[in-house]
Amino acid sequence: MKEFLKVKNINLSFDSKEILKGLNLIIDEGNFVAITGASGSGKTSLLRVICGLESPSQGEIILDNSLLFSRDISVPTEKRNIGLVIQEKVLFPHLSAIQNIEFGISSKKDKQNLSGEIMERLNITQLAEMYPHELSGGESQRVALARSVVMRPKLLMLDEPFTGLDKDLKQKIYPEIKSILRASKITALMVTHDLNEVKALADKCFNLESGQLTEL
Amino acid sequence: MITSIFLIPILFIISSVFLGFSDNFYHLYENLLLEYSLNSIYLVAGVSLLVTILGVSTAWLVTFFNFYGKRFFQWALILPLAVPPYLLAYVFTEFFDFSGTANNILRNLFTTQSDVIFFPNIRTIIGAIIVFGFTLYPYVYMVSRVAFMNIPASVIEASSLLGKNSISTFFGLSIPLIRPAIIAGVALVAMETLADFGAVQHFAIPTFTTGIFRTWTGLYDLNTALQLSTMLLLVIFIFLSVERASRSKIRYVNSVTTSNSYKPIQLMRFKSAAAFFVCLIPVFIGFFLPVLELINWSSQVDTLVSTKIFLAASNTLYISLSAAVLTCFIALLINFVVRTFGISQLLNDLLSLGYAVPGLILAVGITKMFTSVDAWLINYGTFITGSILGLILAYIIKSYAISNIVLNSALNSIPIALDESAQTLGASKLKLLRDIHIPILKTGLLTAFLLVIAELIKELPATLILRPFNFDTLSVSVYLLASEERMFEAAFPGLVIIFFGLIPIYFLNKLILSNNK
Repeated sequence: MKEFLKVKNINLSFDSKEILKGLNLIIDEGNFVAITGASGSGKTSLLRVICGLESPSQGEIILDNSLLFSRDISVPTEKRNIGLVIQEKVLFPHLSAIQNIEFGISSKKDKQNLSGEIMERLNITQLAEMYPHELSGGESQRVALARSVVMRPKLLMLDEPFTGLDKDLKQKIYPEIKSILRASKITALMVTHDLNEVKALADKCFNLESGQLTEL
Repeated sequence: MITSIFLIPILFIISSVFLGFSDNFYHLYENLLLEYSLNSIYLVAGVSLLVTILGVSTAWLVTFFNFYGKRFFQWALILPLAVPPYLLAYVFTEFFDFSGTANNILRNLFTTQSDVIFFPNIRTIIGAIIVFGFTLYPYVYMVSRVAFMNIPASVIEASSLLGKNSISTFFGLSIPLIRPAIIAGVALVAMETLADFGAVQHFAIPTFTTGIFRTWTGLYDLNTALQLSTMLLLVIFIFLSVERASRSKIRYVNSVTTSNSYKPIQLMRFKSAAAFFVCLIPVFIGFFLPVLELINWSSQVDTLVSTKIFLAASNTLYISLSAAVLTCFIALLINFVVRTFGISQLLNDLLSLGYAVPGLILAVGITKMFTSVDAWLINYGTFITGSILGLILAYIIKSYAISNIVLNSALNSIPIALDESAQTLGASKLKLLRDIHIPILKTGLLTAFLLVIAELIKELPATLILRPFNFDTLSVSVYLLASEERMFEAAFPGLVIIFFGLIPIYFLNKLILSNNK
């Protein structure tokens, strides 16, 4: 299978504290990879480095044969085509669910087709006109997921996206997500501390410790 | 570039001290400077004492006691902020005049003789102290009230358990605890007093501001006026540093306190009536007296809204609206850039300094800057001195701090994760500003806009100097009519200014109440 994401020898420090030390990661196309690790081990930082919200001091990031980061190049976040779904509520509060989902789509035609399709598949069509403050935690997360997936990102990253959701809801969401990602052929990278999530979703799992990854 | 435009007028003022001193300066130095300095010191000392007494005592009463009328006074005590000192000065002069309302009422009550005078001449330093004291005490009231509310209930209760009564607790514990807040409030009042032009001019008290105005418009010596401005600016910045240093201590005190659930003491009969009158006096003198007197004067004018006043009102609205839109736009843009590109907040602090520069000094600096630009523009057959540009620039520099405070806190309440989400969804910086920040900041933008307008409508010294030829605003009309002793005609535009001044009162009151919750 094609090596889709290549993260090579990444170093990241905050206030002289080394978070990532020569970290390497390769993800094959269409795979769902999970990363676990203790709190503060740098899991979220790794995702932020990959999507360009943090700049590492050294290393290289290549996605689908395009160089995103090296010593001389840093592609801005908005041009990397990487989706990120995080645990916090990040739906735009002044936009309805459907407006949130359509936010990143530029063509009017695509807006209607793509958003309708993804909402149907995630079973959230009835939430279209609702505003974020009217949605439950699970509904918000599904809208956030739809907003990222509808962009057809090359890579979808999920940062503890199911924390705070009840067990039954999680059991319902896992297969939905897996089927959507499979159908859309989206490569995914998830950070979690829940091993049940890893079992339910991931093809491969790594543990992040002392700034480096080891495969589990 | 915006930073340089904001700072150049001030640099022009300061640079004047390097251009040599003229005979006029030595004349002022030998004959008038001491008088200006002493009058300014007396004024600042007297006003500081009066605002401390009025502001702290009323804040203490409404925070720690329940008495008749407390709910009304909680917000009404801020009302005098809507009255610019120059308006109260005009009202006082007429009200306590030989043939004014106050003397007439007392004559009707106590004597039939028409030449008896009950009130001494008000156009003195003591009169000016009273005018500034009763219009500016809300600054001290507001900071003291918030600081009193932040004293933990347990601290006050511990004092009671140790046998201290309310008065001992007030002087021994509450006052020392909120001292930084009081100093910050008094420093703001001192800056406002030193920067005032309208009231001291009407009372004919020679101070730095009137001196600067006379040197420029009487002696036509701009450089000496700039040198005097530099001296005043130096004093203003000392007060500004005191205010900032005290404010940082307030933050420290607030950060270590817990929520206050102190139950106010119920005052009965005499004590309740006493508290009522202590709170009523400043509100009555600072707000209701001038408003009632202005309504009374307005009712005696045949044509309430003359063509001239209508023109002045439309000019005021036009210039204030334009400047407010520009100020809010610049503040929004700068705050967005600071947030998105991680630029230091120092830039915002620097641009906000303009609020501390007296309007008169700012006007002098802008005129100097524009005349220098004109020396170059004349080759192209055009000039900007005396145009509307100078006034708009002065308004923007003066009111940037207000819009910045509102927009900065509104922008900080938007989680940074929202920006990052928009970025990962491919949004450009422009789309982030247009589709996310501006819609979310709608209320903040409107608040900032209204606050700036309310501030600009009463602005007098900069407007007086920088307005284009034949361009009167409401504040200038009031000033010109009052200087010709046409008080009745000045009343209606004065009332309009007060009406607009009530806008920030509404927002300030909401702010204090939300802090209380």
